[in-house]
Amino acid sequence: MSRQVKSGLQVEVRGVSKAFVGVQALDNVNLTVGAGQIHALLGENGAGKSTLIKILTGVHQPDSGKVLLDGREMAFRTPREAIAAGIGVVHQERNLITRFSVAENITLEDPPTRFGLFDEAAAVAATRKWLDLLHLDTDPRTPVSRLSVAQVQLVEIAKALSLESRFLLLDEPTSSLTPHETGTLFAVLRRLAADGVTIVFVSHKLEEVFELCTHVTVLRDGRNACDSRPLAGMTRADVVRLMIGRDERAFAAPAIGTRSGPPALELRGVATGLGHKDITLQAHAGEILGLYGLVGAGRSELARAIIGAVPITAGEVRIDGKPERIRDVADAVRRLGIGYVSEDRKGDGLILAHDVAANIAATVWHRLGKFLGFVSDRMQNTTAAPFLTSLDIRTPSLAQRVGNLSGGNQQKVSVAKWLAAGSKVLIVDEPTVGIDIRSKAYLHDLILKLARDGAAVIVISSDMPELVMLADRIAVMKGFRLVDTFDNAREYTAASQRIMQAIHG
Amino acid sequence: MAALNTVQTPSPRPGERDAASAASRRLSGIFGSNLVGLLIAIAVFVLLFGFFANGFLSKVNLYSISRSIGIDGVIGLAMMTVLVTGGLNLGLGAIGVCSAMGVGWALQSLGLPIAVSMIFGVLLGAALGAVNGLIVVTTRLHSFVVTLATMSIFFGTMILLSGANGFNALPRVLTGFGRIRMYGVVSPLLLIMLLVAALLFYLYRYTALGREMLAAGANPFAAKLSGLPVERLFVCCHALCGGIGAIAGVMASLRNGAIVPSMAGPLGADWLLPAFLAPVLGGTLLTGGGVSVSGAVLGCVFVEIITRGLYMLQIGEFWIQTALGLVLLGAILLERGRAAMALQRSIGR
Repeated sequence: MSRQVKSGLQVEVRGVSKAFVGVQALDNVNLTVGAGQIHALLGENGAGKSTLIKILTGVHQPDSGKVLLDGREMAFRTPREAIAAGIGVVHQERNLITRFSVAENITLEDPPTRFGLFDEAAAVAATRKWLDLLHLDTDPRTPVSRLSVAQVQLVEIAKALSLESRFLLLDEPTSSLTPHETGTLFAVLRRLAADGVTIVFVSHKLEEVFELCTHVTVLRDGRNACDSRPLAGMTRADVVRLMIGRDERAFAAPAIGTRSGPPALELRGVATGLGHKDITLQAHAGEILGLYGLVGAGRSELARAIIGAVPITAGEVRIDGKPERIRDVADAVRRLGIGYVSEDRKGDGLILAHDVAANIAATVWHRLGKFLGFVSDRMQNTTAAPFLTSLDIRTPSLAQRVGNLSGGNQQKVSVAKWLAAGSKVLIVDEPTVGIDIRSKAYLHDLILKLARDGAAVIVISSDMPELVMLADRIAVMKGFRLVDTFDNAREYTAASQRIMQAIHG
Repeated sequence: MAALNTVQTPSPRPGERDAASAASRRLSGIFGSNLVGLLIAIAVFVLLFGFFANGFLSKVNLYSISRSIGIDGVIGLAMMTVLVTGGLNLGLGAIGVCSAMGVGWALQSLGLPIAVSMIFGVLLGAALGAVNGLIVVTTRLHSFVVTLATMSIFFGTMILLSGANGFNALPRVLTGFGRIRMYGVVSPLLLIMLLVAALLFYLYRYTALGREMLAAGANPFAAKLSGLPVERLFVCCHALCGGIGAIAGVMASLRNGAIVPSMAGPLGADWLLPAFLAPVLGGTLLTGGGVSVSGAVLGCVFVEIITRGLYMLQIGEFWIQTALGLVLLGAILLERGRAAMALQRSIGR
């Protein structure tokens, strides 16, 4: 990292308002971030955080109010102007070109050239510096499309760092990172702050906010719930109250797994085309099996093998004690009653351009079809409508495009389609990534309820507290193998130590 | 999962919500689509040409327009069924001609009955389409290159087998059918097109298969993880395209009174412009997963009226081609703009 002493950038937002068609996204919002401060920007989905970030980075222009940098008024018309003024940003949405290599992406704005041609060696060298800083051990020549979600996120962060901005905005930078990777990132951010870089940090994980930040601004419904308060002296409960306007609900009693009869899903010595070896695990009806592992341990890939998207090359799969061969996804879903809530809601979890009803009913159209496969809108809506109430999906109607819903509601829709399908085995992959507190608690309740109602639920999560809270048993994966499986007494210290022991011991 | 339904929530009652939404959906459906714009454009041009182009509203001309709308409409609908997958079929014309030649062969060389020959032709077209689909899903190549190759293969093989000789001794019933004039202005070919359109409307709106096709086209990854047989669905879409293309080929032959290999130009390429114009003008998404059957029909009507009107104003053939190209480009840009607007609105939170 370059150690030249920079004067920190002081950021002030004064009375900014912004409306979109029919929605007042920001209403007279203030934010003051001192030079070299690490400042948390919090709020539930839809509170206006993203809009505020987009105004600070020149994507949107405010209807009224001012943005001041070091006391000078700024009016960015494009993101390029914001970058030129020294603002770097890690957006929540991925902004990398997946076909390009890591190095090409990181040097995209200012590619090193030699005799007028792209100088790959220089780009690789420049890139490696930033990757090393984040302890990301990836060849800079690797195309981004071949990286895992966490690696992509780290590359995104490296790219923002490489601009050597004096003001860094990070929107949910840790959503896909393991605690270890998060720790590395925080160390880097603290060093930057010590060098005078001003940082605004957006996260749904309050533990991280308390660990990293010194000040906090909370938005609620487009207004300041608090404006630039020091975090010292505030408790988690204080912050939650500011965010949701009331106290956090106590968590429901955990499910008690009953293990009678054959397991709903059993893998015996399973190997897959992706490199899993000798995977043996059982998921019983009425039980939640937690699957933990660092990024790259092969958890989601195992889920994809169980759902039939990846071929199983050896071993045995038993459903309710009967040996079965999973031919493809349609077979797993329709015949064997397996469901998979993808970690990548926008990529392969939902059809964003289609409406809520179609997304929920997609798994059951073939069953709804009566004469000549006749399915009317009414039949489809009858299938989908109960879930709007039962899962508290906030949408103007069943005809709303799923892409227009908030993250939490999208996640509920992707669970609803498996409830509609009546899946007996449900794999939920990173159920609460990028989801606000209220929806998160709701989804936790929902997962417990599903298990209590008799489904075998497998939860994959990088959020260790979440997993320890939910799971009846925890299986730990490392390098595409299972390294430990144990009964979880829902006691965080003991469980986390056992998990870390399994991974690092 | 019955217990889930008992969770109490403060959200609005579903009934209320749905009634309101149905109305707003219908409204946004109408104004959000191209239908109203197309209807207005059609009305304006009919008036313009009726006024300025001598004989535009004559019975002979209207009859001729109805016949062209019939054929080009089916061509456009055929392309629409494969645009659903986010792909396309450059060889649509080749398949249409090959299938029509198949019908001629069955009728004249094998002496099969008319109905059997027709069914044979449609099945042939569907089979050729299915070949396209199978290659696309097994190789995962874009349908652009696949159909570019098969277009030449299908057409070349047909020329080899037929020796480039057409079939011009079609049964009287058939040649007569192509000349029928109902009420003096309506060709039965138009009715065939409307029938195909009605069946497709039913497919996409009211059947599990059609809905699955749309879902698979909109996001194949998500559709696959929802348990839809995406590969099979894509092959079905391509087969459907081929089958409807075959119907268009036969219809074009009925108009000509003979089946000749050159009826759709070299490699069947003359069909390409009408094939894309109608669905794209009508609001079918090139990215897949969104169709408008009525839009495609109206789009075709619009194109035929422009073509015929300009023709009657004695504007040169090449100018007309240029104009149609511009219309296609305009329609694509319009779609882009609308997509961008929808995105703007959805991220504006």
